[in-house]
Amino acid sequence: MVDVIVLIKQMPDLEQVKIDSNTREPMIKNVPKTVEILSEHAVEEAVRLKEKYKGKVTAILLGNEQSSAIMKKAFAIGADEGIIIDGYEENNPANTARVLATKIKEIKHDLVILGNQSADSITGLIPGMLSALLNEPLLGNAGKIEVTGTTVKVTRILEEDNIEIESPMPSIVSISQEINEPRLPPVMQIMAAGRKPIKTEKIAPVISKAVTLVSNRAPRSERKKLVFEDMDKGIPEVVKVLKEGMK
Amino acid sequence: MKFLVFSENLGSLSQMITYLREKGEVIGVGIEKSSSEAANFGASRMYSIKGDILSDSAAKLLEELFKKEGADSIFLSSSILGREAAGILSVSLGVGIVPEINEISFDGSKAKTKRFYLGGKTVLEEESEAKIFTVSPGISDAIKSDKTSEVVSIDAPQSKIKILSRQSKKAEGSNIEDAKIIVCIGRGLGKKEGIESVKPLVEAVHGEIAGSRPVCLDYQWLGEDRQIGLSGKKVRPAIYVGVGVSGQIQHIAGMRGSKTVIAINKDKTAPIFEEADYGLVGDLYQIIPKIVEKLS
Repeated sequence: MVDVIVLIKQMPDLEQVKIDSNTREPMIKNVPKTVEILSEHAVEEAVRLKEKYKGKVTAILLGNEQSSAIMKKAFAIGADEGIIIDGYEENNPANTARVLATKIKEIKHDLVILGNQSADSITGLIPGMLSALLNEPLLGNAGKIEVTGTTVKVTRILEEDNIEIESPMPSIVSISQEINEPRLPPVMQIMAAGRKPIKTEKIAPVISKAVTLVSNRAPRSERKKLVFEDMDKGIPEVVKVLKEGMK
Repeated sequence: MKFLVFSENLGSLSQMITYLREKGEVIGVGIEKSSSEAANFGASRMYSIKGDILSDSAAKLLEELFKKEGADSIFLSSSILGREAAGILSVSLGVGIVPEINEISFDGSKAKTKRFYLGGKTVLEEESEAKIFTVSPGISDAIKSDKTSEVVSIDAPQSKIKILSRQSKKAEGSNIEDAKIIVCIGRGLGKKEGIESVKPLVEAVHGEIAGSRPVCLDYQWLGEDRQIGLSGKKVRPAIYVGVGVSGQIQHIAGMRGSKTVIAINKDKTAPIFEEADYGLVGDLYQIIPKIVEKLS
């Protein structure tokens, strides 16, 4: 038996974020939220572990009422319970980790599974922070997870090598995208997921002034932008630059 | 100011030391196989870790050294290990953290930092009293100093995690992060065999071949170690040549540090032309042989 908590992150659909040409600031207000891609892999992995070793999968998502579609997707893949923590909208890793850790402590678990970093802010800090806050070992960037008794074994994917590591449970496992290919749930399961109740828990807003935002703007390109459509002109120019660079 | 700087990667460690040595005293922390080389970049001391290092033991070691050295802040490269250790450290030291920085300056104890946000679409400029920073690769070129650091050997602390085995990933040739000229292919190549048409250009400029995310991850035409982008490597060659690369923002974030950018693409509206110094609009299969011919 392996009881798994899986953490789901929602983020703005980056494809739909446009830049205001005057202020160069992102226009993010009405951009719909989508599930962070690694979270889908995390849910898939949690469900695969349940299918292999039995146990329960509890999904936790920081969001609001509009997040139920994302939770239903997790249900359709096979999550048993879903908790939406409503009221935390900040984007500060230290606070995110604290809010998550508080909830995780209330739930019996063998493993906490989450993505190793997210596609919007790419901080990759949450796994380490949770490990320290929960005092559970971190097995990071897993490409494979196996459980034997009360021990978890993970293939950790590093930049230059892969290492096989293990620790006793409970522990935190962050996953890499290549761990699995999330399934496309059958229609019956999607429909059943729609009827499943979601627990929503309101929390008081967390306010932090640790980091002050000065600006959030699209970077300006300072390139020359000499674009040639006439190759008789363009190619000699490029060849000149390449020859200069080879010196 | 005194900075404690850690990376298990020689390139990142020497870049960070180069970048920070103008701003204060640097104490380096590296792994045994690279510390003697990393001692050439101007750190006053270089701790050389003996034994396997994992994120919890790295955090423990850095916490000890931070206190022992009386450092003002800690910089870790934003590798898998570095990010994890930074997260643990920020909790155990109870101090603020700013991740993925690509620029920093100090105003008293206040740190002014910049980092990419929204998948690289925007840059966040922030001010904080943070003491821990993860540093995006390529913050600076690595430039040797005439000062050699004193190397101090130090044992890796015990980890809660047991390492059972280690398997080295076979890298295809050399490291793209060290290349002077990079020829980067994108999905505009159309087919894997197209690489054969690009290779003569790579050879003619004595460069390295690299790829965008789809090329390296989705189609696997090239190895993962050749991927440039937010989720891959961040490079800063003298010349970057994008061949059939459309220029998605995540890719741009990985090559923005290039000195000169050349782009070849048949789509005049491809975003890469906004990030290029020189652009050629046309069929890469016709353009490349002409460039190669003129180079020889």
